[in-house]
Amino acid sequence: MSRLGPIYTLAVGAVMTAGLTVASATASPAIQETAAIPAAAPQANTEATPEATPEPTADTADATQEPEEVAAPEQQEDPTPKKADYAGVVDQNGGLIAISIRNGKVVGYFCDGQIEAWLRGTAADNTVTLEGKDTLVTAALRGGKAQGRIEFKNKSWRFSAATVKKPSGLYRATAQVRGARVVGGWIKLPNGQSVGRLMIGENAGEAAPAFDGGVQEWYGIPLTPQDPDQFIDAFLS
Amino acid sequence: MSHTQVAPQHRGAVALLVIPVLAGGLVAAALGVYGELHPPTGFAVGIAGFSGPLAMKVWLTTIAAVLALVQVFTAFAIWGRIPVQGSWPGPVHRWSGRLAFLATVPVAFHCLYSVGARYDDPRVMFHSILGCLFYGVFVTKMLSLPKRGLPGWSLPVLGGLLFTLLIGLWLTSSFWFFTTIGIQF
Repeated sequence: MSRLGPIYTLAVGAVMTAGLTVASATASPAIQETAAIPAAAPQANTEATPEATPEPTADTADATQEPEEVAAPEQQEDPTPKKADYAGVVDQNGGLIAISIRNGKVVGYFCDGQIEAWLRGTAADNTVTLEGKDTLVTAALRGGKAQGRIEFKNKSWRFSAATVKKPSGLYRATAQVRGARVVGGWIKLPNGQSVGRLMIGENAGEAAPAFDGGVQEWYGIPLTPQDPDQFIDAFLS
Repeated sequence: MSHTQVAPQHRGAVALLVIPVLAGGLVAAALGVYGELHPPTGFAVGIAGFSGPLAMKVWLTTIAAVLALVQVFTAFAIWGRIPVQGSWPGPVHRWSGRLAFLATVPVAFHCLYSVGARYDDPRVMFHSILGCLFYGVFVTKMLSLPKRGLPGWSLPVLGGLLFTLLIGLWLTSSFWFFTTIGIQF
């Protein structure tokens, strides 16, 4: 026993590691949550589209209030919506992507609970291009949808994101705690599906619990989710 | 064994460490390579009861660090540096060590499977390197323990290294969490 004791100790550690590997490979909650949805998701997207399609025009009408003389000629040159929010499922990956346009500036977020990327970019000629850490997103805007491709590290997935209206869409919260920056990101779809991730610093983070839109408490840190109107300037600066 | 000549005996004793050290080196290198090459999943099964995987890792590491203090104390007692009554230091040393090791397994599993080795932030870089070394030294020590005739310094040196590495791991994870986020479960 005493001579084999240390070997048993190592063996128990190895068995534990094997058990954790099997358990983790078979049970991946964020994927299950999203994997259950794809059948319903495209449906929800197409449902959302007809009612959502007129929205960008309504929004541009709102936006034209102030500089009416500028907006008209601009619209002829560039049909890109001035203000639009898109959110949808990323094919195969099962995560969500959200893209929000505000006067040519674009913010985006891709998250499947496990991996995430904050994105920034530009919109012109009904095309958006966004970049983030290890991530490149390009999408065409037509028919109230943003359809395109996300390249994340060495993977590439297609997505189709329909126009969404608050409370659906993209949310971000930031906080500073004793020298570390806490960032929360969430995407909510009209069908109620949500995904999010909470990070402290660049390297420590967790998948976010189901998102209800209110203040999210994470290890005692209150995080107030903001919509793109509220956070876009701070995020892009 | 005290009757044989000193010089060959000494050489033989050090040679006994070759295989444990090579095995430990292989384990440390394998963990480092895995941490570097395995794409982080961002998710791993852990121990329930904490509000999240970060808290789980922080507290299990703290348990291991406290048990590591028990390790140092009982090691001193085993080697007669701290006078104690009875023969309990041996079993307590073995079982506190086993529990400390087993407490670290879900932590290291989560780190390597879910996050991976990172070198872009000093805290995380040191944590990654110390973590790989810790299991390498642990394997070396476990494989050395059953061997008879090792140089007298080998187990204290290996044990001291393990303690230092574990405290380094605790400082770059749990201590950082406690001082940044606070005492959270």
